[in-house]
Amino acid sequence: MEYVLHLLILIALYTLLSQSLNLSTGFTGLISLAHAGFYGIGAYTTAILSTQFGFSFWLGIPLAMLISGAVAYVVSLIALRTVEDYFIICTLGIQIILFSIMNNCMDLTRGPFGIPGIPSIYFFGLSLDSKISFLTLSLSFVAIVWFVLRNISKSGFGKTLIAISEDEIYSQSIGKDVYFCKIVSFTLSAMFAAIPGALYAHYISYIDPTSFTVNESILILSIVIIGGLGNLTGSFLAGAFLILLPEALRFLGMPNSIAANMRQIIYGVILVIVMMTGKNGVRELFSAKTKR
Amino acid sequence: MKYLIASIGLNVVLQNCISLFFGDDTKIINTDEVAVGNQILGAYITTVQLVTIGASLLLFVSVNLFLHSTATGKSIRAVASNPDLCNIFGISSNKIILITFGIGSALAATAGIFSAMDTNMIPTFGFNLLLYGVVAMIIGGVGSTTWLIAGSLLVATAQNLAAYYIDTKWIDAVTYIILILFLSWNPLGFSGKRLKKVEV
Repeated sequence: MEYVLHLLILIALYTLLSQSLNLSTGFTGLISLAHAGFYGIGAYTTAILSTQFGFSFWLGIPLAMLISGAVAYVVSLIALRTVEDYFIICTLGIQIILFSIMNNCMDLTRGPFGIPGIPSIYFFGLSLDSKISFLTLSLSFVAIVWFVLRNISKSGFGKTLIAISEDEIYSQSIGKDVYFCKIVSFTLSAMFAAIPGALYAHYISYIDPTSFTVNESILILSIVIIGGLGNLTGSFLAGAFLILLPEALRFLGMPNSIAANMRQIIYGVILVIVMMTGKNGVRELFSAKTKR
Repeated sequence: MKYLIASIGLNVVLQNCISLFFGDDTKIINTDEVAVGNQILGAYITTVQLVTIGASLLLFVSVNLFLHSTATGKSIRAVASNPDLCNIFGISSNKIILITFGIGSALAATAGIFSAMDTNMIPTFGFNLLLYGVVAMIIGGVGSTTWLIAGSLLVATAQNLAAYYIDTKWIDAVTYIILILFLSWNPLGFSGKRLKKVEV
């Protein structure tokens, strides 16, 4: 039971991550490989605040979102002056710089030793250290973020973002500030990424830089692309699929070491197929097949 | 753009195939005894590194000759400048793209062999080297073969100066700070596009 709850919590965290990336990648078309970096900023901010300064989770999470958003804002001012492939490589650079900071700033982050002993979350004096209560908390965050992102996508601003992802010159010609909208969507997406970071830090109670590598960014991006750009439900389903896949393989009798590699091989293959057929996510891939 | 994402997917697949078949542990090709190396101008350089320098210069010159004097090389440059016009003139752009991909991968494999002989190898060691290559390529200028040397020299020098004056652990960060500074100075890259337009 604990095991199932653990998987559900992981699914909730990856849903938050992929849906927040979906705001910039899915709606605005800004493919970003820096998401694990912002996830890491969220985790490290709350971890440092709670272990060294005794801040509670509820104060840490808005601060984490603010710091992550501020970093993303500064970064996007530079990165968003480039387009397409250059933008992707720029975000990759940002991811590696953020990882270097987490891995090498010994005074601030304790480098590869990580930060242990992050306290569990208290909610009105009630400790949320059991798995079921933590799951409830993460699910409520998923519900809030999902609701907010749905409303953003339906608002005029969301429609502008979708227009930008389709044609930037046309959006600019009807008087939309493309550069500004891109900055806002990138910053918002990084702010939402700080939420699962903070939850992760308090859930595992120990963080180190290896959770926030380039590979993690690639995994989050694959979830978004496999689930379909701009499709929030798709992100949730793809995230659940990729989390449960190695567990399913393990039940089929595959050893642990091979199951992890198989998961990466499978999502790599799906990623290549989805990108090369030009379909928007796996759902479209299958629906096109059944139509023929 | 879709090729970039697909190639990242391919990278994930290949890297995991390697670690499935050969294991995750560090492997060593160089079976020679560890030697001090040859002293040239006060610096110690191992024989493998000398061979690497020689071989990469040779490959660089031969690729340049190939691109500028053979028919296939000329078609590659033609496809790079205008694929549609090439198709009209009977050069299949898809075929040429496949050939370039093959040549590029072969060159990458040579680089892999030399760096594996120089240090040692784990399934993931290619990714970082590739990223340094991408940075050198962008700084040197996409599509310009001679300036690549300047880009690579700049990146490598900056990395080693950073290792000497700051710390070896900041090499990656310094490389990417150079890239981001370069892109903020010249944000158009070399495609000359500032905004995305729908491809018809």
